[in-house]
Amino acid sequence: MSLRLETLTESVLNQDNQTFTWMTPSFALRPTNSFVWTRPTAGVRIKVQPTEQRIKLRPVEEGGASSSSPSLSLPSTPSSCGHPQPVTPPLGVINEGVAELRLVIDAEVAQRACEEVLEKVKLQQVEVPPPPDEAPPPAVKPPEIREGEDSSQGSVKSARRRQRHNPSKQSWLLRLFESKLFDVSMAISYLHNSKEPGVQAYIGNRLFSFAHEEVDFYLPQLLNMYIHMDEDVGDAIKPYLVHRCRQSISFSLRCAWLLGAYSSDMHISTQRHSRGTKLRKLILSDELKPAAPRVRREALTLTPFCPVPAGPLPGEHGLSPSKRTHQRSKSDATVSISLSSNLKRTASNPKVESSPDEDCSSSSDSLEFDSGPPVRLAPQREFIKSLIGIGKRLATLPTKEQKTQRLISELSLLNHKLPARVWLPTAAFDHHVARVPHTQAVVLNSKDKAPYLIYVEVLECENFETSSVPARIPENRIRSTRSVENLPDCGMTAEQRAGSFSIVPNYDNDDEAWSVDDIGELQVELPEGHTNSCDNISQFSVDSITSLESKEPIFIAAGDIRRRLSEQLAQAPTTFKRDPEDPSAVALKEPWEEKVRRIREGSPYGHLPTWRLLSVIVKCGDDLRQELLAYQVLQQLQSIWQQERVPLWIKPYKILVLSADSGMIEPVMNAVSLHQVKKQSQLSLLDYLLQEHGAPTTEAFLTAQRNFVQSCAGYSLICYLLQVKDRHNGNILLDAGGHIIHIDFGFILSSSPRNLGFETSAFKLTSEFVDVMGGPDGDMFIYFKMLMLQGLIAARKHMDRVLQVVEIMQQGSQLPCFHGSSTMRA
Amino acid sequence: MSQVEKKAGLLRRTSSSKKPLKEKVVLMYDEIFAKEDPAKNNPRFWDELFLMKVNLEYLESKLESIDGEDVQCIQDNINSLFHHCVQALGEEHQIKVVNALQTLCALFRGVHQKNKSASGFDIINMLMGFDKAEQRMKDLMESLDSLLCGDGSESLKSLCLKLLLCLVTVTDNISQNTILEYVMINSIFEAILQILSDSSSRGQHGYDAVVLLALLVNYRKYESVNPYIVKLSIVDDEPTLDGMGMVVHQALTEYNRQYKDKEEEHQGGFFSALTSMVGSMFIADADEKLSVQTNEAILLALYEAVHLNRNFITVLAQSHPEIDIVPAPPTPTPTTPTTPLGTTPPSLDVINNPELPLDPNLQTSNLLITFLKYASIVMQDTKDEHRLNSARLCLIILTCIAEDQYADAFLHDDNMNFRVTLHRMPMRHRKKAVGKNIPSRPLVCAVLDLMVEFVVTHMMKDFPFDLYLRCVQIIHKLLCYQKKCRIRLHYTWRELWSALINLLKFLMSNETSLLSKHNIFHLALLIVNLFNMFITYGDTFLPTSNSYDELYYEIVRMHQVFDNLYCMVLRVSTNAGQWKEAASKVTHALVNIRAIINHFNPKIESYAAVNHISQLSEEQVLEVVRSNYDTLTLKLQDGLDQFERYSEQPKEAAFFKELVRSISLNVRKNVSLNTLSQDVLLKEFSTIS
Repeated sequence: MSLRLETLTESVLNQDNQTFTWMTPSFALRPTNSFVWTRPTAGVRIKVQPTEQRIKLRPVEEGGASSSSPSLSLPSTPSSCGHPQPVTPPLGVINEGVAELRLVIDAEVAQRACEEVLEKVKLQQVEVPPPPDEAPPPAVKPPEIREGEDSSQGSVKSARRRQRHNPSKQSWLLRLFESKLFDVSMAISYLHNSKEPGVQAYIGNRLFSFAHEEVDFYLPQLLNMYIHMDEDVGDAIKPYLVHRCRQSISFSLRCAWLLGAYSSDMHISTQRHSRGTKLRKLILSDELKPAAPRVRREALTLTPFCPVPAGPLPGEHGLSPSKRTHQRSKSDATVSISLSSNLKRTASNPKVESSPDEDCSSSSDSLEFDSGPPVRLAPQREFIKSLIGIGKRLATLPTKEQKTQRLISELSLLNHKLPARVWLPTAAFDHHVARVPHTQAVVLNSKDKAPYLIYVEVLECENFETSSVPARIPENRIRSTRSVENLPDCGMTAEQRAGSFSIVPNYDNDDEAWSVDDIGELQVELPEGHTNSCDNISQFSVDSITSLESKEPIFIAAGDIRRRLSEQLAQAPTTFKRDPEDPSAVALKEPWEEKVRRIREGSPYGHLPTWRLLSVIVKCGDDLRQELLAYQVLQQLQSIWQQERVPLWIKPYKILVLSADSGMIEPVMNAVSLHQVKKQSQLSLLDYLLQEHGAPTTEAFLTAQRNFVQSCAGYSLICYLLQVKDRHNGNILLDAGGHIIHIDFGFILSSSPRNLGFETSAFKLTSEFVDVMGGPDGDMFIYFKMLMLQGLIAARKHMDRVLQVVEIMQQGSQLPCFHGSSTMRA
Repeated sequence: MSQVEKKAGLLRRTSSSKKPLKEKVVLMYDEIFAKEDPAKNNPRFWDELFLMKVNLEYLESKLESIDGEDVQCIQDNINSLFHHCVQALGEEHQIKVVNALQTLCALFRGVHQKNKSASGFDIINMLMGFDKAEQRMKDLMESLDSLLCGDGSESLKSLCLKLLLCLVTVTDNISQNTILEYVMINSIFEAILQILSDSSSRGQHGYDAVVLLALLVNYRKYESVNPYIVKLSIVDDEPTLDGMGMVVHQALTEYNRQYKDKEEEHQGGFFSALTSMVGSMFIADADEKLSVQTNEAILLALYEAVHLNRNFITVLAQSHPEIDIVPAPPTPTPTTPTTPLGTTPPSLDVINNPELPLDPNLQTSNLLITFLKYASIVMQDTKDEHRLNSARLCLIILTCIAEDQYADAFLHDDNMNFRVTLHRMPMRHRKKAVGKNIPSRPLVCAVLDLMVEFVVTHMMKDFPFDLYLRCVQIIHKLLCYQKKCRIRLHYTWRELWSALINLLKFLMSNETSLLSKHNIFHLALLIVNLFNMFITYGDTFLPTSNSYDELYYEIVRMHQVFDNLYCMVLRVSTNAGQWKEAASKVTHALVNIRAIINHFNPKIESYAAVNHISQLSEEQVLEVVRSNYDTLTLKLQDGLDQFERYSEQPKEAAFFKELVRSISLNVRKNVSLNTLSQDVLLKEFSTIS
């Protein structure tokens, strides 16, 4: 069957494949160029309407893809594309603009000012043609600065005016940067591709104006560039990183982890290496605290635009004397820095005056660090460390059973230290971890390592940095005074009683906390729907009555009891049998909702309204950087397909890289591996789906089938594009809705198991899969093929977005997926 | 060893001392027991006294030998000695502290030894004097508290605990020890907790601390407010509770280990004996050799913790991987043996020796598993008094556990599976050590196994009736939980059913002899009601529909037992007599079982007749059962899932009184034996000072 499909689709695939491979070699700079070049045609006219513009662009690109002719990818060497010139001279100017912008308070204004500065650069460029002389800028400067002092608002307006007046003289690059279309993705690719320090510095500043979440997506790229690319890029990014680190603990930690992970491939002696490590150390030493509560809000714009926030880091300066002098000479050359920093002090902006701390930190010499211990990051680091430690210890145990028991006992010890100001970085909301329901944890299947899945009870909060950590509630949350109450004639006086009770923590007062003591009083809520299935008499039997008054004997039929028993057994959702060799199967099969309910019932924190359940897989001894890369690619493709309205379904799962050999993975909910499905159910995939969802004509099954097809098509494309290998059934999950989800992207691109270097099929499509789709002639299979084609075209169209993610990570990377030359095809 | 050394010491010292043949300290004791104030001639008398090595034997014998009349005369001196002892506890010089502690020990013991019949007040008067007693004891307790909580020498702390144990156990009946009233007022509870919460001090003193706590809790338990009971019941500090659990865990583990060693030691002989067919002779013999001294003190501590403190229940399930023992810092004075004056804690080196953190052979265990193993050993043989008491206490603890909702929750937790190797009694009619490969199951299965094992193995002439009652009640409580929470435990219920039916059979065949001592109808009622639980509520907790059929099969198969039981209870209930009411209750309870038997038996017979089969196979009977449910009507019985909650008073009070008495005796014996060996201690301090 699979062969059949390949022959059917191969023509299409091959065709595209060719175009892809063909385009690759010269691709490095093409996307940026093509943008620069295609924009002007439409840009002038439709500048205000980016959507329309995109529509304009589409045919051009699509044409390129479908005709697969290279002619449309508008050649031209990158060097000739118009912005080499602006760069050298405006270096100083941009910096100057940056210094000036320190006065500005909010991001929007900052952005506007940025534009303004670029505007000036352009003007200058127009007026003073490229003399690489340092003299002119200072000459031009005074008026500019004054202008900035006057009011940035006014200057922006005037800039706009000017802009409108002489549009023809604008640099295309600048126009691009200013336009609303300029997004993080482009920023990152310019940062990566542009060799001009000015452009890089500008983008470094522009980063501040993007939404945090958008930039966060590219954090691995940013950090990798920071570590592995030359100094200019690093200097451009650093202020932003430092700024964000100051703002957020979780960002600090993410940075630190990623820096650690991406630095690990380098030689220890490399200087660049030490740049990444230095920043990591700096973050971990917790010197990047928010300066003062008052300043924090302003820090948003203040810190970034200080030219020296890199300066406050003594680590950097202590790095090497040559570097320091180099930096200084650079700043001297542009004069503007010293000038502007003087200006800043005299500036009338009250906000600047009110932040002396910030002033301090901007002048590298008078820096003062808080001498307090680095407690800000400590709890979370400890938490993560202990999770990793558990994983490492588990790996030494021989059997799954021992691992599981050990895991449970280790986690129960961990519980003693919770709740604490710790959180799961994979979660989408702020929270504190309150408890790890240790008995629910399971060891996952792995040959020699011990990845494990834990569920984590968290309490949602406003902000995990400032909200108070919830108080610990003892494991069995039961009033501790029962025994005293029960002690017969204790002879206690009322005062004594009161005295002894007052010692009891007052969580008892909480009405929501139930005070069920023993099984005699235990009320069990029956699952809904259950009551309906029982007749009245059986209701009686369920809750036997102790009233002796009712002399009337109640009779029940034995047949009813027997029937109810089998009914209830049948009613229960299919569960997997417990298998000591595969402990995770049962845990993963249980529906998430069910699990949440069950754990909530058993948790001392369950009554709190902010209670949530999260889960995470902890992996030790595995390099998750590739997984992270795959996640990013999947994420990009998903958004591309969404944008193009191709109903392909994929599920990128979040990855948290903790170091080069450990990390966390967000588990896919309600999904079990195909391997587990087969082993447990002993059914073919189709039969299993029929068992789970109902007969082939039911709504439920049809939905599941559609889900299956859409996800299968999505992942087939992923496998093809990323050359995902090692696709055995253990690496493919099936979720409760019928979607398949591929996991484990350990072998992608040029790496493959046992270094075969290739795998014969482009993606995995077994006859069983095709059977689920209704056979090779079924409608659903045709739909599948169509989806594949659409998806491929969409991916092809936006390939730059995907490529860029991968390309940047290639820098200095030793990841197995980047070995060899023929790395990337798409 | 002490005897010999003592004598040697005596001889050596003669040369240096003024008066020949007597130690200086002995002379000083003599001075105290003279009528004059010893400090009169020598103002530094007391200072010097506490620098002398204590001669406990002499002091104690001296105290014992005082006649009634002399008491009056030397009371001042004894009071003074006590007073100075207490004062010396605050001294910086540790030798003095050690000597003072030991002198106090001797004082308490000597005085009590002498006045076994005397009232507590006389003793207090003799030791401290009525007027000053309160102050003296307050000072004493405060000093002890600060010594225990301070960071002084570990041996010193250990000695403090010995003194307290000595004080607590001087009387046979703890409640008659009036001095303890002061220990109640001046609580050292916090000090005990602190010892338990710290892993290093727990390792060295945990055992003593736990035993001390268990004893203190039992002081006038039923008559007055015991602050230790109150305080223990509200402790919610996890490290402390864990620490307590750990001490118990270690002690029980050690017991299990010792037992296993002995058993293995025995194994060789066992098989050879088997081949020589000595049969029953041998088994009795083996049991004797296999019995290891049970540790009731630690079991009592476990009971009090489980019974009094709800939070302790979590500790039961707290797994003890080796890692949390490892971080215990090395003792500050590594040359010191861990317990110079141990009250036979089974083996403290086990606690101290950090186990290898990653021994793959080590099964993770928790207190409950260890306890179940321990119980399985103890229950094997209930012939002697100690073991019977231990077994009873084990069952009481299990009762408390089965009643607790949280405990039930983790007993039934499907995610917490363990292999629990229970010890089974070697019996002639079954093979020993059947399954080395016990599957990993929820813990409740192990509890049920243990109960079944007990039921099967104790049907003997000397019928442990109350143990059977407890056993059946534990099963009932577990079933009630399963029914309420709709937990379908995958357990081979059949074993339980047949064990219970056999028990009924045994009750009936020994009716006359048993009935003279016990209300067997009560037990029979409980058993029949267990079956009623399965019959009426089986739909809520049985694992498969087949198991319900099997239940009917088992009842029908053993119908003779139920028929006989019915005949018996009918007979007794129609005769006027002591058991009339109890028996008629059983008659009512049997109604459903009889209905089942009367319904299915004819059906099965006719099936056999129609198909011309003389002996129906199990499958065929099940088939008949399955097809004939619908014509059977059962009566819903009241209160099947109700049970009487465990309460210590008044039912168990007598048992606990006796138990505490025997523990007291045992502890006292051990303390007295070991307190004398103080040389190690002195050596340590002489090097320090």
